[in-house]
Amino acid sequence: MAAITPARRAGWTTANFVVVALALIPVLWLVSLSFKTPTAVLDPSFIPSQWTWGNYSGILTSSQFLRPLLNSIGIGIISTVIAVLLASMAAYAIARLRFPGKSVLIGMALLIAMFPLIALVTPMFTIERALGLFNTWPGLIIPYVAFGLPLGIYILSAFFREIPWELEKAAKMDGATPFQAFMRVIAPLAAPGMVTTAILVFLACWNDFILAISFTSTISSRTAPAAMEYFSGGSVFTVPTGPIAAAAVVITIPIIIFVLFFQRRIVAGLTSGAVKG
Amino acid sequence: MSTTTPAVTSTAAAGQPAKHRKAQLSEGARAERRLGFLLCAPAVLVMIAVTAYPVGYAIFLSLERYNFALPQATKFIGFANYGAVLSSPYWWHALVVTLIITVFSVSITLVLGMLLAFVLHRTLFARGLVRTASLIPYGIVTVAAAYSWQYAWTPGQGYLSSMFNNGAPLTSQTEAIIVIVIAEIWKTTPFMGLLLLAGLSLVPEDLQKAARVDGATGWQRFMRITLPLMKPAILVALLFRTLDSFRIFDNIFILTSGNNGTGAVSNLGYDNLFNALNLGIGSTISILIFVCVAIIAVIFILGFGTAAPGMDNVKR
Amino acid sequence: MASVRRSRHPAGARDARGPGRRRGSLWRLAAGVAGITLAGSALSACGTSSAATGPVTLNYYLYPDTSGATASAISNCDKQSNGAYTISYQVLPAAADGQRQQLVRRLAAHDNTMDIMGLDVTWEAEFAQAGWLVPWTGTDKAQAEAGTLKPALQTATWKGQLVAVPDNTNTQLLWYRSDLVPTPPTTWVQMIADAEQLAKEGKPHYIEIQGAQYEGGTVWLNTMVSSAGGSILNAAATAPSLGAPAVKALSIMKQLADSPAADPSMSVQMENQNRLAMEAGTAAFELNYPFVYPGMKADNPTLFKDFKWALYPEVVPGVPAKVTIGGIDLAVSAYSQHKDLAFKAALCLRDAQNQLIGATAGGVPPTIASLYDNPALFPDYPMHADILTALENASVRPQTPFYQVVSIDLSHLISPPSGISPARTEQSMVGQINDALQSKGLVP
Repeated sequence: MAAITPARRAGWTTANFVVVALALIPVLWLVSLSFKTPTAVLDPSFIPSQWTWGNYSGILTSSQFLRPLLNSIGIGIISTVIAVLLASMAAYAIARLRFPGKSVLIGMALLIAMFPLIALVTPMFTIERALGLFNTWPGLIIPYVAFGLPLGIYILSAFFREIPWELEKAAKMDGATPFQAFMRVIAPLAAPGMVTTAILVFLACWNDFILAISFTSTISSRTAPAAMEYFSGGSVFTVPTGPIAAAAVVITIPIIIFVLFFQRRIVAGLTSGAVKG
Repeated sequence: MSTTTPAVTSTAAAGQPAKHRKAQLSEGARAERRLGFLLCAPAVLVMIAVTAYPVGYAIFLSLERYNFALPQATKFIGFANYGAVLSSPYWWHALVVTLIITVFSVSITLVLGMLLAFVLHRTLFARGLVRTASLIPYGIVTVAAAYSWQYAWTPGQGYLSSMFNNGAPLTSQTEAIIVIVIAEIWKTTPFMGLLLLAGLSLVPEDLQKAARVDGATGWQRFMRITLPLMKPAILVALLFRTLDSFRIFDNIFILTSGNNGTGAVSNLGYDNLFNALNLGIGSTISILIFVCVAIIAVIFILGFGTAAPGMDNVKR
Repeated sequence: MASVRRSRHPAGARDARGPGRRRGSLWRLAAGVAGITLAGSALSACGTSSAATGPVTLNYYLYPDTSGATASAISNCDKQSNGAYTISYQVLPAAADGQRQQLVRRLAAHDNTMDIMGLDVTWEAEFAQAGWLVPWTGTDKAQAEAGTLKPALQTATWKGQLVAVPDNTNTQLLWYRSDLVPTPPTTWVQMIADAEQLAKEGKPHYIEIQGAQYEGGTVWLNTMVSSAGGSILNAAATAPSLGAPAVKALSIMKQLADSPAADPSMSVQMENQNRLAMEAGTAAFELNYPFVYPGMKADNPTLFKDFKWALYPEVVPGVPAKVTIGGIDLAVSAYSQHKDLAFKAALCLRDAQNQLIGATAGGVPPTIASLYDNPALFPDYPMHADILTALENASVRPQTPFYQVVSIDLSHLISPPSGISPARTEQSMVGQINDALQSKGLVP
């Protein structure tokens, strides 16, 4: 590796700074908006001319927002766990095993990933009402899993394919069953892929708006993005900029924590035990 | 792809060892098939259970004249809806807008995502900070980010608008589309970067070292080694990003509500489904969106050779 | 974190005795996840109300009202019912489109948990035609109609039947700065001329109007066409009417768009942006709802001293303008399990006492005419006399089940207003409305 010259350090510092700044400026704008009073909102500067905690105290003392936040976290985690689990199993089978009907499975997964959600909302709503799933946690978890599976299967099978078959063969020759080979040899190498998939599926659930607004009616299962639709301003004509910005910031904080925690796993997975060579 | 029972030359009369070998081989193949089905079953079950009826119903609705508020006037009209949509200037206009947004946002995101992947992979320090910061645009709820952009471009109130002479870009079609593309790029570059990073991390370090020893410049190493080895990851990333970008909805919905000629095909579908309550036309638009997206996927998979796992033979 | 552990080492990693055992541990994991899902759904069930003996719970679906007026009305009515019912406030999304989608989706699914619904005044035709509303009859109907403003009742009528009871309403006035314009203009042409004169003098001169591509644009168009003596649809709502009055209305709108009096942001402005522009001091005239009055008082006390109102400018000199009204009507769902009680509760929620609370605390003008002479209204509504005049001579938006499509078509044709070409735009409107009324074709 080349020596770490001051020039290289400066170069990477600039690169880091550019990435962080571009990523965070719109978020900082939301933070700034969240502290502005309704009058200060009219001022385009980043530093609020009038500060207030009112936007935050308003939403954080209201169950109309806290409960949806909890719903988002819970539904997101459960959906992610189930989706990654099912996707790993299917992806391993697709990448490693021989059985008929693989292309059918891939085709179906792609079809589901590609079909416009808006057309599916009304019939799915009818089904959920008939099954009593409307306005419940499973009512959102099950569709989220179903729509997260195609992405998961696709990414994970790509990961599984890249892992050399020799490792598995070697383990089998040492007497391991296919499942032991999977657990001891393949899974740790596929871990970065699983983490990536988990992140993407969780964020897809977290972000979803149209299913959340269509399949819930009260805060018992409404999630955070849908809850923002119910914020209202002083009159029917005012947009509650401050509370919406505050809600957006509060919704982002769990993501920051989540990402902060997971990115260590990514680093560990990528730098420990190179796959090839 | 077929499962084959390996040819066994010795007959049953050859004795116990040969028979045992033949039975074991088929047994193995059968066990493999069983395991394969078993592992796929839960995923398949969930996907079918949730989407079979809605997809089928949506296709059926596209062949019907069905207005939600007038259920008694429902009628089967075959492909008349398709004729109506395909001959409507609104559809073609929305399609052009969608393609413009898709092409620009995907291509720019690819370049920026590659740069981001490099920074995430190679930066000397503050890795955690950079990774966390760069994932935030992807993690933030799309609608919230769209509000941030909308307020930023509001004349007199937004920092971006004040940088451009208090203009109101969201009123003019071209400028509004540029704003939408910027919002899309900001939101989706982390996703692209993440997928590319995963591909980048699989490029062997020693190949790079060998090339450097041979005197290759950084650019040459990138073009000759990194890029070709990353091709599968790039194609997968491009495929998913293009599929998603074609179905853009949230950003346009919040920024312009599709007004002033900035609506994409998904906004058109939404308007016809939920505002006009015209389930027939709305479902038709959705099917057509699906057809377009399928064509894109086919182009990628057959044309560019994007890896579609399971369609190739299993690596042995 | 548990989820990380699961995704990296699923199902009994340490137990490696073969397929049978693996399946067992997989089942254990599946059971665990199922348990969590069930726990989650049990948690979600905590929020739902349980049916109990005693007062009937009526579910009242309304936009989010943070002013407390609705909560007061509900508690008043609960008390008045003497234990017959308790009203449960079910909040709908803030935007009208979102409210309509929620209601439509559930009504189409014959949801029997909805009892009273707060409808925007443009939805009655669509909902009633679909059979989702119960007509009002007998004494309930008489009580609903007694003393209620006629245009408001008109919005709640479909095919000769009363399908809802008006709760609150809204209308626009001309707001102007008396320091710039001592006498308010009485016609549009005069107002534009006044503004252009102010522009020449280098003073604030914008005329604030809602020019964005949304429902507010349709309201403006409807006001102008009605004030010109015409209407958008014919009386039977089977075909467009438009014609010469529409062309006249469109030419005035175009005239405004082309004059220096037009705010540069007009084509993206809605009611709130108009209010803010007026408060910022860049405008001389504003056509908006009375909510701007307390706004100006709070935000710009200096300008407030010169902030006056007048009746909406006329389109035809000498013919009073017919301003299009907005507001909320309360309706009973056809699938409600407690229709009789719902009627009583709705009548209570919109009675004089509660409408007064809505007007003073909630900022929404009442639909009962006598309240406009009630002194309790005067402090918040010094302009009550003009509001009443405007309301008594008001116009309503086209009443057709296809109103949403008609409105989208119209608002897209008149925004941006600078793109209006009166004769050509009128022709496009005729063509598109004809398609809309037959449910033909696409919506932009």
